[in-house]
Amino acid sequence: MTQQAATASTYNPPRRSYRLRKAISYIAAYTVLIVFGVIVIFPFLVMLATSLKLPADTFSYPPRLLPRAPVSVELAGYDKPLPLYEIEVDGQQREMALVENTVRVGIYAAPDNLDATVTVPIDEVAPTGGADNQATATVDGAASPLFDVPVNGQIVPMVLINQTALGRFVDPENTSIETLANVRLSQPVSKLTAHPENYRDVLQLNGMSRALINTALVTLLVVLGQLVTSVLGGYAFARLRFPGRDTLFVLYLGTIMIPFVVLIMPLYQLMVLIGWTDRLAALIFPWVFTAYGTFLMRQFFLTIPREIEEAALIDGASRLQILWRIFIPAATPALATLATFTFLYAWNSFFWPLVIINTGNTNNHVLTLSLNVLRGRAADSPNLVLAGAAISVIPPMILFILAQRFFIESATSSGVKG
Amino acid sequence: MTTMTMPASRSRTDTWLLVLMLWHGLLAVAGLVAVYVAFTGINGGLRFAVAGVLLVLALLSATTVPLIHRRDHRGRSISLVVNYLGFLTCTALLLDMIGAFTGIDDLAQRFGRGLPFLLISFVGYFIRSFGDRFEQFPQRQRSFQRVGNIIMLAGLLLFVLAIINFSGIPALASEILQPVRMALLLGLILFGVMFWAMWRQPVAEVMGVNNARSETLSGYLFLSPNFLGFLLFFAGPLLLSLYTSFTNWDAFGTRDWVGLENYARLLHMTFAQLSSPTQLATEVINTSIFDELFRFSILGKSFIVGAQDKLFWLSIRNTVVFCLIAVPLSVIPALLVGTILNSKLPGMKFFRAVYFIPSVAAVVGVSLIWQWMYNAAVGWINYAITSGIGAVNGLTGLAIADPQMRWLSSADTALLSVALMVAWQTIGFNTVLFVAGMQNIPKVLYEAATVDGAGTWAQFRNVTLPLLGPTTVFVLTTTLIQAFQVFEPIFIMTNPPGGPNNSTLSMVLYLYQNGFQRFRQGYASAIAWVLFLVIFAATVIQFRRQRGGAYEA
Amino acid sequence: MNRRLIFVFSSLLLVASMLLSACAPAATPAPAAPAATEAPAATEAPAVEQPTEAPAMEEVALRWRTRPDNQEEADVYASISDELDAKLEGITLSYEPGGSESSSYQDVLKTEIGAGTAPDVFWIPGSDVGDFAKRGLILNLADQASMTDGFNIDDFYAGPMAALTHNPDTNAEGADSGALWGLPRDVSTFVLYLNNDLLAEAGATDPRELAAKGEWTWDAFLETAQKVRALGSDIYGYGANAWWGPYGTWMNAAGGGFYNADQTACNLNSPESLAGLQFEQDIYQVHDVAVPYGEDSEPPYRAGKVAMFQNGRWATPGTRTVEFDWDVVELPQGPAGDAGNWQFWGAYAVNANTAHPEEAWKLAQALTEADVQAKISSMGANIPSRVSQEAIDAFLTFTPPANNQAFINGLQDNAVAEGPLWAGSWPDFVSVMDARVSALMTGQETIDQFAATICDEAGKAFSQ
Repeated sequence: MTQQAATASTYNPPRRSYRLRKAISYIAAYTVLIVFGVIVIFPFLVMLATSLKLPADTFSYPPRLLPRAPVSVELAGYDKPLPLYEIEVDGQQREMALVENTVRVGIYAAPDNLDATVTVPIDEVAPTGGADNQATATVDGAASPLFDVPVNGQIVPMVLINQTALGRFVDPENTSIETLANVRLSQPVSKLTAHPENYRDVLQLNGMSRALINTALVTLLVVLGQLVTSVLGGYAFARLRFPGRDTLFVLYLGTIMIPFVVLIMPLYQLMVLIGWTDRLAALIFPWVFTAYGTFLMRQFFLTIPREIEEAALIDGASRLQILWRIFIPAATPALATLATFTFLYAWNSFFWPLVIINTGNTNNHVLTLSLNVLRGRAADSPNLVLAGAAISVIPPMILFILAQRFFIESATSSGVKG
Repeated sequence: MTTMTMPASRSRTDTWLLVLMLWHGLLAVAGLVAVYVAFTGINGGLRFAVAGVLLVLALLSATTVPLIHRRDHRGRSISLVVNYLGFLTCTALLLDMIGAFTGIDDLAQRFGRGLPFLLISFVGYFIRSFGDRFEQFPQRQRSFQRVGNIIMLAGLLLFVLAIINFSGIPALASEILQPVRMALLLGLILFGVMFWAMWRQPVAEVMGVNNARSETLSGYLFLSPNFLGFLLFFAGPLLLSLYTSFTNWDAFGTRDWVGLENYARLLHMTFAQLSSPTQLATEVINTSIFDELFRFSILGKSFIVGAQDKLFWLSIRNTVVFCLIAVPLSVIPALLVGTILNSKLPGMKFFRAVYFIPSVAAVVGVSLIWQWMYNAAVGWINYAITSGIGAVNGLTGLAIADPQMRWLSSADTALLSVALMVAWQTIGFNTVLFVAGMQNIPKVLYEAATVDGAGTWAQFRNVTLPLLGPTTVFVLTTTLIQAFQVFEPIFIMTNPPGGPNNSTLSMVLYLYQNGFQRFRQGYASAIAWVLFLVIFAATVIQFRRQRGGAYEA
Repeated sequence: MNRRLIFVFSSLLLVASMLLSACAPAATPAPAAPAATEAPAATEAPAVEQPTEAPAMEEVALRWRTRPDNQEEADVYASISDELDAKLEGITLSYEPGGSESSSYQDVLKTEIGAGTAPDVFWIPGSDVGDFAKRGLILNLADQASMTDGFNIDDFYAGPMAALTHNPDTNAEGADSGALWGLPRDVSTFVLYLNNDLLAEAGATDPRELAAKGEWTWDAFLETAQKVRALGSDIYGYGANAWWGPYGTWMNAAGGGFYNADQTACNLNSPESLAGLQFEQDIYQVHDVAVPYGEDSEPPYRAGKVAMFQNGRWATPGTRTVEFDWDVVELPQGPAGDAGNWQFWGAYAVNANTAHPEEAWKLAQALTEADVQAKISSMGANIPSRVSQEAIDAFLTFTPPANNQAFINGLQDNAVAEGPLWAGSWPDFVSVMDARVSALMTGQETIDQFAATICDEAGKAFSQ
């Protein structure tokens, strides 16, 4: 195969237009990017669309992206509005109203020709020869009861092959046009209808608005706190020589790999000791001091030339001044990267809040926690659950889009210098 | 230097040192009293910790007195440490007493009111930075900056006004006037003053401080906020968990030392030869202790492997398989897409932004969305497959059967499904990191490669990949560490968590089940430490392979 | 330079304001009476810091928690808490809605018990009672019950009470066992939720008619399911979720069960249990009439694609939003002559570390009074745990479903009470059993492979 392919490529027109090749590679690149983009975005579209639906609409199959509601029509003689369906009558597609849902029908055939069946409502059929003395016919070697079935105005004795239920549809514009059809397989007429009030309901249902604010506050404080401690610690590790520095650093590094669950129980007990169970403080302070941030800042500070710093020292600047005037301005990209990481971590953390904040104390819930409660309480209404999910997903997205320059380009220009 | 100091300031320095000696003497005595009070006043194991710390501090304080008297530089260091810690402790206690920490709960309430103003100041920032686009027109730039600054500051000011509870301020004042708080405030001031006194340049000179010594102190000082917090909230609990892993603690009562029993139980395995590949496990291994893990055949002979804790080994297998799927899936496409994004085609920033979006979404929310998409009966993914196959069949006349995937409910695909979702969420971030790394590669190298006649692939292989080494290490390591700790998506998406048939039971989930559902904290801690060792080993191996990797100084 | 100044200024401002405003509120109640400084602890854990000081003078503060099934129920519990607060003298109540099953209600509770911050009275599922009791996490209320006039365990369903009065030391049960671990909040049982439209379309006989005639058997069930399944590849005759409840009913109905008679050993490999499992496996693997095992059957049921969905009373309020004609029917009778249904229950238990056991007992009693239960069962999600006719009448008023009687029949028809495992560890047992049954139902394992090792594996739960 490979050989063949290789030979084939040499047979290409030797001077295929450079432009054409370029165009093809462009198209290929954009195709990849767009396909990939659709994969990335589609779940969010599903989330948004579902969050605007009614509960019944979310369970429809085949799944529909856009929120739709069935269209119904008022018809004289019926006390409730009747749903409209697309029904084919005599080869014509019509919008018809469903007037009766379950009409029991039998599928009948003459005993001598079982393949030619007719479908007739059961109450229009009577046993041949009366109920007490029903005639029978032999079908496949067994006796089957016969029924008088009206076919094209004539009564024909037939055997019952199968039973089912159909819906009775009427054309609302011309009630004389009536037909029986399978309701489940018919296409209901529907129109686009969004239900943004789902969001209002969710916000009220769980005190989610409060959770949103709590999450914002917790995230803000964690990010600020972590930036401060990480910059100071990173500077110490990167630039100051003191005994035990390298040992300490290795220790720090090791802890990055420790799964957080290891800490839940002892940390929980510590919080009990301090009296912070059920408090937002418990969501903030333990996350202000992390090895990860220190590591990241140290790596970045290492790349700043020593000469600048030494010159400043000779000029009599204090360490704090050097850090403030030289290192922090230079490290803006790294700071932004760290802020992004921390933001994502704090905004998304789920497990620790689940353990430390009481489920009943909705005043101190954060979003992930509310969402988890919502998941249980509104399990019946995926539209509400996904509206909740949207509330948790959208604010960081907006923030991210606004501060894109901050988030990505900084990461880009700093790179993560391994 | 010292000899040239003026006598007047010299004597002032001596006075300060005398004061410091007195202070430390006093402190030592007070510390010893506090040790006694703490030891008798507090119950439980905590008293040893508190009393121990106090005792050490008191003794340290005592040793500084002669050291300062001898003008020994070590005296200065110890004095600084003691005063610093005292200062921090007093501050923390005072803040705690006046309710600064628990008050955050109430702050949240008012924070909501202030949030719009904070957004205003954000807008101000953007206006400000928008001005930077007009670098050629300094005047316009300046006016943008001015307007931005004003909006920013106004927003901040309004924000502060909105969140401060003014009625609380007099209350706060009267709160501080209570005796204990006053004492703490006094302590705070005293410790602070003493620290400052010792830190000052004249005193430092008298105490014989050279550059190296001052650098050492600065180093510890800079590290201290992070390090102290790290000790309190991380290292302490960590050690406790290590200790717990050697006990049979059930989270409530007994916490007896059992040595390595937990680890032994975890790792206990057995091995036996089978007379036929289908022989019952009961006949060859002691099934009252072991469960069959797997069997295999080599050279026509069959063997069976059993383990005392089958689920633990299953969880290891699942975790490793998960990593093997999720890590390549979230790194390789990221690398390829990153390469495309790094080309200078128009619209790349847009795509980059789009790809980043999943990584900013909360795992809980995203898991809920995917759970819905994976639903075998009414989910989108199966619908897409069904209609895709239908379309192909219609076009080609083939009769490809609809696979009817049962994503999360089949033991064969559940882990894959979770891994796909996790990869989907991580790719964007990794892509951005890769693009960042690629932009750091000097363009010259590509130009040289082009001159040498290297094609796109050759350039990628010979220039991009090797120079992307550090970024790749970073991306691989973080992705791997995260993948090893997978928990939340499994916890939310699978039912029961870890199911079906334990096919998604990850190590962290198993740990959680033991610790929080089956009252086996000791055992859970042991699992945690084994997991830590596994991650540690994997990371070390990765670094070894990438010589001179990311963590080199 | 300017920029940095602004940054410094604004961050300082921010930090200062945070500090200032964070400090202020906690201080607010202070000036009036220094002794009451710690008063805002009303919402705080009682056992932690200020146990008795301020409030002890007048009222005992109790916290209680239960797991509501939906928001309406959470609201009703909150209002019940307020009413009882007014009614019970000397007790101040605060109600904490726990998370739902999927939001780790028990896990969080256990963590809090471990740390000593759990509420005074809490609800736990029946199967967990044994574990909690053996570990001494919940209080034995027998003495207090014997001193309470008018308290009679026969007012409640016998199944839950037998488990709640089990004395692990003597293995005695009943009024004089010397043990009482709590009072049942409510009971529930399985039914089949029907999609009548699908059944009619399939031409199947109405299961409700068959049940009335006593002909609703496994065979009739299978025939019905097959008829429905024939309607299309995405239409299913039967659906159930993957947990011990549904597969347990098949075993029970065949005369088997999880444990032996005295609940001291694994019974999963008895011929009867295996017969039940075999039938269920055939439903999935041979006849292929059911929603694939492990898939949540609720979405397809509510999308109108499942004719018979096995679920408990708790599913009723949610099912009311469906757009098809629905009702409920009893589970089909198995070879052993009954449907093998469960009596699900959960109980209010008293925290062993509560500072106020007397008051907690009063609260547990008040929470299970008939009028309180009537209020909750009017929300439709459960059945009162009291056996009186009034309780049943109160329950029957909630329609649709029209055939509410199916639930009552399910309860009374020899239902097996959800049982705590006293002789072993229920969480261990159920985790082994769940995984192996899942392997069985999805065809990864044959019934013979299952039978060969299941009790070796699950039996280890008894040596715990």
